[in-house]
Amino acid sequence: MNKLTVHFTLNQQSIRLETLAARSLLDVLREDFALTGAKDSCGGDGECGACTVLLDGEAVNACMVLISQVEGRHVLTIEGLTPDGSLHPIQNAYVQAGAIQCGYCTPGMVMATKALLDHTPQPDETQIREALAGNLCRCTGYTKIVQAVQFAAAELHHDN
Amino acid sequence: MTTNTSVIGKPEIRKDAASKATGKAQYTADLQPEHAAYAVLVRSPHHHADILSIDKTLALQQPGVIAVITAEDIPGLKTFGLIPDQPALAINEVRHIGEPVVLVVATDKASAQYGASKVVMEYKKLEAVLDPIEALSDVSPIVHPAGNLLSQFNVDSGDLDSGFSKADIVFEETFTTQRVAPAYMEMETSLASYHPDGTISVWVSSQEPFIDRARIAATLDLEVEKVHVLSTVIGGAFGGKEDSSLAIITAIATWITKGTVRMVNNRSESFVAHPKRHPVKIHLKIGAMHDGTIIALDGKVWLNTGAYASYGPAVGSLLTEMVAGPYNIPNVTIETKVVYTHTPYSGAMRGFGSPQAHFAIESAIDMLAERLKMDAVEIRRKNILQTGDTLPTRVHLNETALGLEPILQQASAAVERLRKVKAKPGKHSGVGLALAMQSMGLGNGIPDNSNHRLEWLPDGRVLIHLGAADLGQGLVTVAEQITAEALGLPFNQIVTSPFNTHAVPDGGVVCASRMTYLVGNAMIAGARLLIQELIDQAATLLNQPKDQITYACGRITLPDGNTLSASEFTSRAAEKGNPILVEASACFPYPEATTPQHLPIGMPHVKFLFGAQVARVEVDAELGIVEVTDLVAIHDPGKVINRLGAEGQIESGVVMGIGYALYEDMNLKSNNQWINNFTEYLLPTSLDVPANLEIQMLEYPEADGPYGAKGLAEICTVPTAPAIANAVYNAIGVRVKDLPITPEKLYQASQIRS
Repeated sequence: MNKLTVHFTLNQQSIRLETLAARSLLDVLREDFALTGAKDSCGGDGECGACTVLLDGEAVNACMVLISQVEGRHVLTIEGLTPDGSLHPIQNAYVQAGAIQCGYCTPGMVMATKALLDHTPQPDETQIREALAGNLCRCTGYTKIVQAVQFAAAELHHDN
Repeated sequence: MTTNTSVIGKPEIRKDAASKATGKAQYTADLQPEHAAYAVLVRSPHHHADILSIDKTLALQQPGVIAVITAEDIPGLKTFGLIPDQPALAINEVRHIGEPVVLVVATDKASAQYGASKVVMEYKKLEAVLDPIEALSDVSPIVHPAGNLLSQFNVDSGDLDSGFSKADIVFEETFTTQRVAPAYMEMETSLASYHPDGTISVWVSSQEPFIDRARIAATLDLEVEKVHVLSTVIGGAFGGKEDSSLAIITAIATWITKGTVRMVNNRSESFVAHPKRHPVKIHLKIGAMHDGTIIALDGKVWLNTGAYASYGPAVGSLLTEMVAGPYNIPNVTIETKVVYTHTPYSGAMRGFGSPQAHFAIESAIDMLAERLKMDAVEIRRKNILQTGDTLPTRVHLNETALGLEPILQQASAAVERLRKVKAKPGKHSGVGLALAMQSMGLGNGIPDNSNHRLEWLPDGRVLIHLGAADLGQGLVTVAEQITAEALGLPFNQIVTSPFNTHAVPDGGVVCASRMTYLVGNAMIAGARLLIQELIDQAATLLNQPKDQITYACGRITLPDGNTLSASEFTSRAAEKGNPILVEASACFPYPEATTPQHLPIGMPHVKFLFGAQVARVEVDAELGIVEVTDLVAIHDPGKVINRLGAEGQIESGVVMGIGYALYEDMNLKSNNQWINNFTEYLLPTSLDVPANLEIQMLEYPEADGPYGAKGLAEICTVPTAPAIANAVYNAIGVRVKDLPITPEKLYQASQIRS
């Protein structure tokens, strides 16, 4: 099986990794770095968004990214959202809004929210719903998740 | 005991939220044990086949493969279940696509998958029966030797024939509902470790870990004490995790290889090999008077329970109780057949038969109203249950939290308001209403208790040894709030231990809309014992008369008026090795005097929840696309313990109901394979939620509920689909009687109409 060496930045740290070429970014994050915040809920088919991470600031399904594709790029996972592991305003908004039940979709939702608010600091409700449409949740009915994004947008805007 | 409610009803933030938001929360598949092997299943590719041979040789030669296991390797019982018809690994025959046949254990996932591909299977395909009505015919292929009719339930009250003979109008309709996946985000997973002392630890993502433990022990021919079942964070369940299969299979792999083994399903396995909501056919014959009074109902129900029983019989019996809906109908006969077929098995799922029953009755009531030229609200007002009415099970409705009448009142106001909203250009708008009832508890004759422990820690905090796991819905938060209230302590002074069958008593299966009620009552009972114990200890230590010592809010007051913190005594008790630890138990009430005893075990239910939902839709008649623009959900959960959590349940139930109404259908495709992925099985997304979702909670206090609470988790998904179906009819005059309401069905129906 083909091996390759890939260099990338993972949560601000430079990484040099020798690995099998056929692996997904999700498998590498979970198995090699014990970064288990990104989840698998669809079997690696890119259908659920539970493994959403940021690749050069864009939300991607980590299960759909081959490890070779991250060469020279920046990967940000839920674990790297704040340097000290404290709650980022987006995470705090999810907590306060009651947007977390089983929580399995939450890391992916938070990262999708981060990508949205980085690009569109003051989204309207339609923009929020569209930005999260690739992230499935079965517990919350999405209402409080949308509210969390609105809270986060207000909080981050206020901070700026 | 404090009487003010300083914690109840508050939107306290669940304590696991931050760890979930940061990704630190570890679900079973996130645990990182050393040297864990990985197991995968070779599953049946056929609906029905004899297994002619299984050749393990080649698979065992593959690098990394540790073991290749079949049914004959299982040391103890080879089948399990409520009705133990389900083999952990198939024995000689497969009865549905996806059935586990061979278990391959290897050092890692890729090796296990490769090894599995090298198991050589030889099958003889047999004729399969997929339809429950066909399965009941004399010439049907046989699913199980005892017959394809798994169970039958009959209830009757009054005199059906005389009811129909008096009726001014009699009509009949047939409704069908589809197979639906619970689709919890965390797929089935288990992790098990063998210990050199001959015990085994099994991490499960389960609603019924004590039942899992018993089944694992029986499968491995072990004493129950040698099996530890543990839970970490659970990623949703919705009834589907009342299913021991993957935990049992992981335990088998671990026991045989004497190591640590992990299993994680992929989504396609989750679809085909774990419980679904039953596809159901319901035929209703209704007799009514010109004034709208319904006087007779004859219901016939067929549940397709699939290849194995799972909780099918229990779903069938509860559905039977719900067929007449929340209406007082004097003459009722209902017959329900739960039928085996060669399809993936159905079992428990949120609502447990009630969503199917309500789709039928609530559609039929609207159809009756139209025939009688009556208003949908008015016909319901004429027939809704009142306290003292008799249900088809002959239970006299004895509700203290009587919510139905005011619920209908609020629903009526919502209907009026939404009817005035004009449709967008090119769209047809319609408003629909549905009522719902949902039983609480497991049913008469089934042990229905919940046991926990409370411990007053040396530092004054209180630890709940909760005998049940939080599935994500917020059980722990509810238990902590009620405990805090009962002890007059702040919410943050209550903590809960992780679940482990060796450390906690049996809290019962987390199901049946009963956990807030049962766990809450248990916590209140336990808190009383804690306070008693604290006062006893203080009296002994300080040599004071115990009847003159009082307790409030974490402090005791002595006869001289001095007060001392509880921790003064809890710390001393702990130092002496005798911590203040009490049992906290509650039992669901089935009063013998008022509970009819003529029905099978599990029937009847005696306590009920009520609700209504009003949907406004806009339909694009050309494309057949339905948009739910507004939904008003009116529920009476009794006193709300945690507002954020209660709203979250309703928002969730409504969206699950929208999926049931419009999108979700685990169908057999033209290539003879089941839909088994989220590309073809459409879960509602953030774009499918009504723009206006309004929640109205009535909060009539339940006399014997904890601080007046009842339950909520299931009923909030029950009325959604019929409300939408009624709204679609109101919008475009097309009545869809088989869920889901797809564009194809609307198109076909409108073609027939025009």
